[in-house]
Amino acid sequence: MLIQRIFASVLLLACIGLALMAWPYQAAFSYEPVGPRAFPLLMLALMGLALLYMVFRPAPIVHSDDDPKLDRETLTKIGICVLLLLVFAGTFEPLGFIVASILIGVPMARLYGGRWLPSAVIISLMAIGLYLLFDKLMDVPLPLGVLDVLEN
Amino acid sequence: MDTLGYLGQGFGVALSPYNLVTALCGTLIGTVVGLLPGLGPINGVALLIPIAFALGLPPESALILLAAVYLGCEYGGRISSILLNIPGEASTVMTTLDGYPMARKGLAGVALSLSAWSSFIGAFIATCGMVLFAPLLAKWAIAFGPAEYFVLMVFAIVCLGGMAGDRPLKTFIAALIGLFLSSVGIDANSGVYRFTGDNIHLTDGIQFVVLVLGLFSISEILLLLEKTHHGQEAVKATGRMMFNFKEAAAVFVVNIRCGVLGFIMGVLPGAGATLASAVAYMTEKRIAGAKGTFGQGDMRGLAAPETAIGGAACGALVPMLTLGVPGSGTTAVMIGALSLYNITPGPLLFQQQPDIVWGLIASLFVANVMLVILNIPMIRIFTRILAVPNWALVPVIAIITGIGVYAVHATTFDLFLMIGIGIFGYILRKLDFPLSPVLLGFILGGLMEQNLRRALSISNGALEILWSSPITFGCWVLTAIMLLMPLLRIWRKRSVARRAIADV
Repeated sequence: MLIQRIFASVLLLACIGLALMAWPYQAAFSYEPVGPRAFPLLMLALMGLALLYMVFRPAPIVHSDDDPKLDRETLTKIGICVLLLLVFAGTFEPLGFIVASILIGVPMARLYGGRWLPSAVIISLMAIGLYLLFDKLMDVPLPLGVLDVLEN
Repeated sequence: MDTLGYLGQGFGVALSPYNLVTALCGTLIGTVVGLLPGLGPINGVALLIPIAFALGLPPESALILLAAVYLGCEYGGRISSILLNIPGEASTVMTTLDGYPMARKGLAGVALSLSAWSSFIGAFIATCGMVLFAPLLAKWAIAFGPAEYFVLMVFAIVCLGGMAGDRPLKTFIAALIGLFLSSVGIDANSGVYRFTGDNIHLTDGIQFVVLVLGLFSISEILLLLEKTHHGQEAVKATGRMMFNFKEAAAVFVVNIRCGVLGFIMGVLPGAGATLASAVAYMTEKRIAGAKGTFGQGDMRGLAAPETAIGGAACGALVPMLTLGVPGSGTTAVMIGALSLYNITPGPLLFQQQPDIVWGLIASLFVANVMLVILNIPMIRIFTRILAVPNWALVPVIAIITGIGVYAVHATTFDLFLMIGIGIFGYILRKLDFPLSPVLLGFILGGLMEQNLRRALSISNGALEILWSSPITFGCWVLTAIMLLMPLLRIWRKRSVARRAIADV
């Protein structure tokens, strides 16, 4: 309940902030009666009303039985996972697809309960395989990054 | 008779060797994607959009590929729900109720082939319905002006909330988030930059593929972290693989009934496969009465939801093709794919590009037949895929998702944006918000705004145009009914509860 109230309040504040941001949006000259700010403002207003209702009367969340409770351990794992994904995005171009994939794929496999050696082998093979599949076979260009020297 | 001629032409397109191979690849990829945890029809189709584009497939082949993947995903979800008792997605929950007990009885092969058959009949009925009604609807839809379209989309959004049942407010908020996100980027009419924060990568708006993969793949990856315990052992599919004639005949009436039901539910915006399968199962259970063994492996209990899902999946394509208004998350993704090819679905599509429309309809037939045939030799391989452990699977899903996003614009900004959206999606999921309305809102948002502005330009700013024509007025009445439905349901629940207290 409390989490929902907090979430709804934060989103509500975001709505207000975005609405303030949208207020000055005006076409320099225009031939139509509805300008660029009407639609987003309408949506934000409706969302704000719905969120306001939610702040005061949050609906209970129905948990299914097999849904485990969020504990500290899981939250840390999720934090690490997000961090790994961010590292992936950050190193994708500078280090290249293959290196970045191996760099985050192996720790990620560990996170999901894999052992070091099988994780390292499978992820490395998959990274190289996916590179060949997409870049060479399917014409989706992927950066090679530090492995650029191998190309020529 | 025109229609039959067009259909024949469509089969000509679908049965060309190139498109047949495309459909075969699509059904195979779709089945595998549907099998794997963490990937469903929505991200399956979304991942293939940039790839289909990069491969340079012509539009009709791309659409056939996506439709085949869609059907394949539905089928793959079935395998995990029957053999593992884990529904791959919401719509297959009903399949587990009788499918898993059947598999436990040693009828796994029969259950799988029977479900494929049921789904085929459902899809067949729905496709026939589509052939009959879609051209009529398309003809009628030409009478739609911008005002009518706007009101229709309002109805579609409200329908989502009205039909979703237990959490109308959250559905509504989710749809509004999507509607709002669609307005990010440069405004096409006035050239004003909206909500970009001077970021050059947002000028174009949020990329559709980025939103879909963030919301569905990344949030699923995070969600899978909570379930590190290893799943149950899959039931071995041994013995007889094919259902026999007696079994097919026993469920035939159920098939017909649920197929029609599924088609109708599929056409309605917002209802979709989940609701169709639940209603079909409940109805059949009631019809069978005490004689049925529903929940203990009754074949009718397996056939009913499967037929309805098959019918609804194809039925959902009707509003997408004729009106350009998607009714479900997956069809919303397909509209996104079409817009990449610069094709605007809508009534004119039937006249201008009959090859695409009828080729797609015909390829649905073809893909369904393929799925029934594939089932028999491939099932052992598919069950082996189920044994792939999460630790090997999830990083690969993450990497492929990254490729899919990078393929659109080749900027790492999109990767960061996807992660941000993924975290937001994860929070929404934990708070019990449904995610597909966000997607639907995002797709409808742009159309809605354009139509609203066009309508008000026509009337020179007078709001009356939004309710003066009979079509708009009718839509508003329906919208009001949809808005009242959840209230009515809550009110009835309360009065029942009060009576129960009074009785005690």
